[in-house]
Amino acid sequence: MAERKTIMIDPVTRIEGHSKITLHLDEQGRVEDARFHVTQFRGFEKFCEGRPFSEMPSLMARICGICPVSHLIASAKACDALLAVKIPPTAEKLRRIFGLAQVVQSHALSLFHLSSPDLLLGMDADPAKSNLFGVLEKDPQLGRDGIALRKFGQQIIERLGGKRIHPAWVVPGGVSDPLSHDDRDAILKGVPEALAIAMRTIGWLKGTMERFRDEIASFGNFPSLFMGTVKQDGGLTFYDGTLRMVDASGEVVASALDPARYFDFLGEKVEPWSYLKSAYYKPKGFPEGIYRVGPLARLNVADRCGTPRADQELAEFHELQRTAVLSSFHYHQARLIEILYCVERLEQLLNDPEILDKHVRALARPNAPEGVGAAEAPRGTLFHHYKIDEQGLIRWCNLIIATGQNNLAMNRSVLQVAQRYVQGERLTHGMLNRVEAVIRAYDPCLSCSTHAVGEMALEIQLVSPDGGVLDAVRR
Amino acid sequence: MNSGDKSGGVLVIAYGNPLRSDDGVAWRAAEEIRTTFASRIEVVCRHQLTPELAENASQADVVIFVDATARGNAGEVVCQSVTAESREARFSHHLTPSQVLALCDRWYGVSPPAFVISISGECFDHGDGLSAAARSGLRQSVRVVSDLISALQPLDSTAIGSVQLKISEGRT
Repeated sequence: MAERKTIMIDPVTRIEGHSKITLHLDEQGRVEDARFHVTQFRGFEKFCEGRPFSEMPSLMARICGICPVSHLIASAKACDALLAVKIPPTAEKLRRIFGLAQVVQSHALSLFHLSSPDLLLGMDADPAKSNLFGVLEKDPQLGRDGIALRKFGQQIIERLGGKRIHPAWVVPGGVSDPLSHDDRDAILKGVPEALAIAMRTIGWLKGTMERFRDEIASFGNFPSLFMGTVKQDGGLTFYDGTLRMVDASGEVVASALDPARYFDFLGEKVEPWSYLKSAYYKPKGFPEGIYRVGPLARLNVADRCGTPRADQELAEFHELQRTAVLSSFHYHQARLIEILYCVERLEQLLNDPEILDKHVRALARPNAPEGVGAAEAPRGTLFHHYKIDEQGLIRWCNLIIATGQNNLAMNRSVLQVAQRYVQGERLTHGMLNRVEAVIRAYDPCLSCSTHAVGEMALEIQLVSPDGGVLDAVRR
Repeated sequence: MNSGDKSGGVLVIAYGNPLRSDDGVAWRAAEEIRTTFASRIEVVCRHQLTPELAENASQADVVIFVDATARGNAGEVVCQSVTAESREARFSHHLTPSQVLALCDRWYGVSPPAFVISISGECFDHGDGLSAAARSGLRQSVRVVSDLISALQPLDSTAIGSVQLKISEGRT
């Protein structure tokens, strides 16, 4: 009988955080199972206990260097709920701009820095060239566009928040400082070029799709649910709204779900082989309640974007498939459409007559023992849920991060790609790179998403000098 | 955004981790440099050098990198001229000054003269304070930057060449 083998891809490259993939082969060398293992652990849910709730936005921003703004916003919204205040309208608009800028810079990082080498140079390209520098060599304009677009988003964050990483400008009750006239004008000055880059890159990406027909067919191309936040009119939104769940046919299976009641319809499961929890839609159970979040899901659930250029692109995107757009390869195109929307939308907000208003913070003491804040982060819906005591100290915290909500789908996608491309007897770089590339399509942020303590799988092995396992303890 | 119009002037790029004690000395130096020179120079603080900085550098007449180092005697300040490095970078998370300049040359077609000011530290543990040696180095580094900027005026090739020569001969 032939030996059953395991192929390990460790680490997975060009993603945010640390992980590995194992491909389990049967006796004939065919891929039988595949797993995406997240190997890092953060633990924010536990070590924020005992801290004053007012510190939470700043603490939570430390979760991630790529999307600190998303954590700031979700955390501040949870704190708003603890204060039981309605924040000033201008503060809400400024938070929206902040969040949109975050999406632009994060999506630009994902597409240009991490995935464009695969899209421009091909899945089989020399790994030494499959990076941003290889892209700049082959297509300098594309590379420069990526840098300029990311910088556009980062500079907005820096102007509003004072710094581009871990800004502390979003606070419970609003924001700490109003927008200045000069900063508003400086941001607006960059809008035309950002729009031009977004449009140019969408055109380029659509032009490359034909080359990736095979990948589109096998990169996470399966039925699942999709979840995202929509406005009352069904429009795309990143800041607030209600949750909508659609199925693979594109039919709405649940609408007007209150994000503050996420625990009624979302569950989380811990697997022994990963520090990343898997979220699922409770009414369908585990694992049948598999759902996807992020750009692909948001565009599948949204009826419209609400800005002219993005709406044109969304209409075309919805034409890709009569049902929901199922292939995770299309996360890339969805990401670019969202960049376009964000630039258009932040321009609208910056031109709002109220945007320079000085009243940007509501002050209050805690008025509720529990608060939930939800927002759409670049990678999908983000929930922060806090409980405090009479002194306003955090007693319990739960974070549901987008990447965890995509965990089931990422694992299934890895298996699908591996079964399509990997032949156990003859490995090539291109085969294994495709397995990594499907993970990149989701743009997982692992630093953001591994927080539960006391639940994570733990295995300690006692290994002898010759490598033999003498004893093992599992939890 | 790169508008294609070169704004010119001196760009100071201070980098390091301000939450790792002496590793943040460049940020503190940058604050003083910014105060001293106000609007005459552009100062940016970063945790590490990334490809985006090539675009900033492409807009400058002169680039001054300021960094902490674990090498040398604590408190020592060394100023060196630096040029674009031909060795290709493979990772975009962390670059050297030479690699930033190389990217600037390749992507934007310009190669501004540049200097690296290294401040030797002795404590790189968690914390936002500086050791006595790093504080001394900080003061000295601000003087070095100040002298350098003065020597570079007017910002033309003659002044820059003269400063580069002095540095290479150890006369600064």
